[in-house]
Amino acid sequence: MSIVDTVLRLLLAVVVAPWVGMLLVGLDRKLSARLQGRVGPPLTQPFYDLVKLLAKQGDTTSRFQTACLALFLASNVVSLALVLMGGDLLVMLFVLAFGAVAYIVGGFSAKSPYSQLGTQRELLQLLTYEPLLVFLAVGIYLRTGSFLASAAFSHAEPLLPEMPVFVLTLIAVFGIKLRKSPFDIASSPHHGHQEVVRGPLSEVAGPSLALVELAHWYEVVLLVALASLLWASPIWAGALVGLGCLLASIVVDNVAARLTWSWMLRFGWLVAVPASILNLIYLYATRGGGG
Amino acid sequence: MNLIQKARMKSPWVLHFNAGSCNGCDIEILSCLTPVYDIERFGAVNVGNPKHADVLLVTGPVNRRNERVLRNLYEQMLDPKIVVAVGTCASSGGVFHNCYNCLGGVDKVIPVDVYVPGCAAKPETIIEGVILGLEKLAKMPAKARPGRQEAKAESAEAER
Amino acid sequence: MRDLLIPTLVLFPMAAAGAALVLRGRAWRSAIVGLVALVLVGSAALLASNGLLRYSPGPLTRFDWNRLVVLADGVLLVWFLALAWTRRHLGALALALAQAAGYVVLEVRFGERLRVQSNFAVDWLAIAMVLLVSVLGSAIALYALEYMDEHERHHGVSPSRQPRFFALILLFLGAMNGLVLSNNLAWTYLFWEITTLCCVLLIGHDGTPEAVASSNRALWMNLVGGCAFLAAMLMLASAQPVGEPMSVSELVRGPTPYLAPVALLCLAGFTKAAQMPFQGWLLGAMVAPTPVSALLHSSTMVKAGVYLVIRLAPAMQDTGLSNVVALVGAFTFVATAMLAISQRNAKRVLAYSTISNLGLIIACAGLNTAMAVSAAVMLLLFHAVSKALLFLAAGAIEQRLGTREIERMESLVLRMPFTTMLTVLGVLTMLLPPFGVLVSKWAALESAAREPVAMVLFVMGSAFTVVFWVRWVGRLVAVEPGQEPELKESIPPLFLWPMVGIAFVAVALSLLVTQVMLRFVAPVVASYMELGSQGFQATVSDLESRVGSFPILGLTLSLLIALALALLLASSRRRQAVPYLCGEPPMEGPTLAARAGGDEPAPIRVSGTYLDRYFSEDRHSLWMTAAASLLLVAMLGVASL
Repeated sequence: MSIVDTVLRLLLAVVVAPWVGMLLVGLDRKLSARLQGRVGPPLTQPFYDLVKLLAKQGDTTSRFQTACLALFLASNVVSLALVLMGGDLLVMLFVLAFGAVAYIVGGFSAKSPYSQLGTQRELLQLLTYEPLLVFLAVGIYLRTGSFLASAAFSHAEPLLPEMPVFVLTLIAVFGIKLRKSPFDIASSPHHGHQEVVRGPLSEVAGPSLALVELAHWYEVVLLVALASLLWASPIWAGALVGLGCLLASIVVDNVAARLTWSWMLRFGWLVAVPASILNLIYLYATRGGGG
Repeated sequence: MNLIQKARMKSPWVLHFNAGSCNGCDIEILSCLTPVYDIERFGAVNVGNPKHADVLLVTGPVNRRNERVLRNLYEQMLDPKIVVAVGTCASSGGVFHNCYNCLGGVDKVIPVDVYVPGCAAKPETIIEGVILGLEKLAKMPAKARPGRQEAKAESAEAER
Repeated sequence: MRDLLIPTLVLFPMAAAGAALVLRGRAWRSAIVGLVALVLVGSAALLASNGLLRYSPGPLTRFDWNRLVVLADGVLLVWFLALAWTRRHLGALALALAQAAGYVVLEVRFGERLRVQSNFAVDWLAIAMVLLVSVLGSAIALYALEYMDEHERHHGVSPSRQPRFFALILLFLGAMNGLVLSNNLAWTYLFWEITTLCCVLLIGHDGTPEAVASSNRALWMNLVGGCAFLAAMLMLASAQPVGEPMSVSELVRGPTPYLAPVALLCLAGFTKAAQMPFQGWLLGAMVAPTPVSALLHSSTMVKAGVYLVIRLAPAMQDTGLSNVVALVGAFTFVATAMLAISQRNAKRVLAYSTISNLGLIIACAGLNTAMAVSAAVMLLLFHAVSKALLFLAAGAIEQRLGTREIERMESLVLRMPFTTMLTVLGVLTMLLPPFGVLVSKWAALESAAREPVAMVLFVMGSAFTVVFWVRWVGRLVAVEPGQEPELKESIPPLFLWPMVGIAFVAVALSLLVTQVMLRFVAPVVASYMELGSQGFQATVSDLESRVGSFPILGLTLSLLIALALALLLASSRRRQAVPYLCGEPPMEGPTLAARAGGDEPAPIRVSGTYLDRYFSEDRHSLWMTAAASLLLVAMLGVASL
């Protein structure tokens, strides 16, 4: 990779991506409103939310939690940069987990009942989606022979026809990571959902909350980029797969009710994980010389 | 209008507190969220946490038991913020005026920016009230709002 | 000079142990421990700078070292018999008797075959282990000086039993060094049994019924391992009439025809490393004073077990045995990580996490590729350092709070900010990139990618691991909004400096992970595998494998930038906050409370979730023990085919 290429990808990840993420989040809210028979906010609504939060005064978030949330934001940025620069998917997932851990520790640091309760649920969410994402990386490895995202990007054939289960688990992961029904048990970033006030964010206010919103924009792009690895060439097909997963999770969000954390845990470990393993077994059994 | 002002106008996160209302106004507030009125068109979101809110919608005449809650909620909101008293009771005490257990209006406890009349207040009026408040909110200075301390002192006196 | 290094590393601590028994004053004890620490660290550094070495001690006047070993072995076995007898433990007695009988047979029938040209061989794996034992062991011994005074004050022990305690600790360190350096299996066996003895006596040190029970469990489980070790020696000696059957370097030169003894040695390693189903003794060991736990978990004892398995990896390359070993390790990794989720006791969480990580190391050794062995060695190093730090911190917390319960460590950051910071740092180095343990985990995952079963187990185990670590950190840092910790705490210097030193080593090693790879891990792998099969390529900035790459430098820089950003953002002015309690203002008082019905204050508390419904020991230990035992039977079966 040439230096110019590296810098361009870095810029794409750090500077361009949040704007795309902002529009995707806006699209999410617009679509949800349309599904509920409402007009909904303008597409650029998340941007105004962010600016307003940044301009709030007298932040009451504890210093420690603000620092944790800043690390959460940074980890999302670095994860996205790693994917776009063709880095190691496992490393990317570890970095992503770093952010999740920072977010959770921040939530635990505020000793208020809603923060504690929501954060414990957040921890269970992490327990549920983490293995699904690593299995996705393993599945990609079994076909491309490498954990590098660049290998998946340059893989000529689409991976999706051989990894159908992973599309479904990805939709679940979208739901969990973006806190959508039926997985919005820890908190809900938008709309009128208000489970346990706002869980790990109950004691977060103003500019500190803006960090979370911004991190959320990166997160959406990251998830779409991850899903797009399943059909990486041509790249527009991948983008369609990613957007398709996002769309599916939005629809599920609007037609499903919130369920309990124990249901989520059982769904993850008794349905999604075994299903992923089945798909992995298929990939392993039919692998060619590549893996 | 600069960007911050515009953002404040377009992103009011609303906290709703019932200070002893008969639920008439509360239902009208919730109906603002429905497809008929859809206040999310203006970026408004109903939040459950004062720390995230910009606009405090209060219904009811405020009585001696929930006064401290109202004050606490108001103080937990970050500046800049506005308070909208929704309905006759919240504005003046309404039929509870001079009742022994009621303070008679939200402005006896916290400073109110907009009074929305009506028993119950109509959704259109509530939305208009919020938008009036937002215009005030947008113009609020970047520094912490002056006069807050005085308002508190006054309300403490009124309590006595 | 060079020839003196190994005797110094092995015999000096043992001699100092004797001195500690005789010179009973506190000042003498401190002087002895300090001197041993200096000598050990110095000689370990010299050994490392010297590199590869083969050595055998010259004959003392009219006295053969091998005879001395036999004598010592005899003393040890009698000691075990006496221990089992006085404690009326029939199982241990039977095992000790079996071992004594076996040893007599070994000596009488195969006495001559127990000799080896060079009794000590130093390679990079041994050097890494010696460094761990010497540096971490010394730090822990220094820490124990402070700890034991308070411990005895608290328990009202008089007269002081510290001379015995420190003699055992020092003996332990010497035996560990001997164990990793020795090239003669018969000598390794001696040191192996010494570590067992020290461990058993240290666990029972407090003499409470609980301590004695745990000590007994450690005794019989480790005697099982001793029996396996002895059986392996017997088989080797009887199977190989020519050459040097006891030479470790001969045995591990390449795939060996003698798989059954290798399997038995692995079994011995499993008992020492507390792999399922032998996890019980390490869990029980936490009744001992915390320095003992720190020693057992980080650099000595359990590490001897995994060291042996890594050592044996070349001998079982490309065999079914190796695969079963990987399976046993991977199973332990997942099972114990799962059980750790339901634990409320900090030391028990640490114990399960140790067993789990050792399982991962053994699994990597069993996978037995260049990458996997690299991962195993890295994990061995990094885990030891982080775990030592965590145990020392846990001990400091325990002495201050008088509890090991995680729930009662809530808001600890307000009371012990600096210790909490070190604990959190320890957890971070165990859990998050770009720290060493995580780099090793990455290496393990990449090396397991072609082994679907191991891969799936690794992924599951890693997911469980996050839960119990994060929850513990979460309790430590929980403070009410509005409370800000001050970074002031008085810590005794002998607590502070060992902890700070180890924390520094943990961070520095992580930053220098590519150097660690080049200096320690790559030579080990090179000596193990055929030429050309490299594990990981270490450049200045990256760690690369055939299938991926870990941008160490990039991630470290990103972390630094992120930390700077976090500090900057956190430094902005903020307002005092009260927690949101549905609008109720919190009431004045020491704990969080709000008005409830009748205006009575209602305390508000949310405790951690331990998911007993899914992960409790009651629910799982039976089938896990059964499954692990079956795996062990399968392992021995595969080896004897």
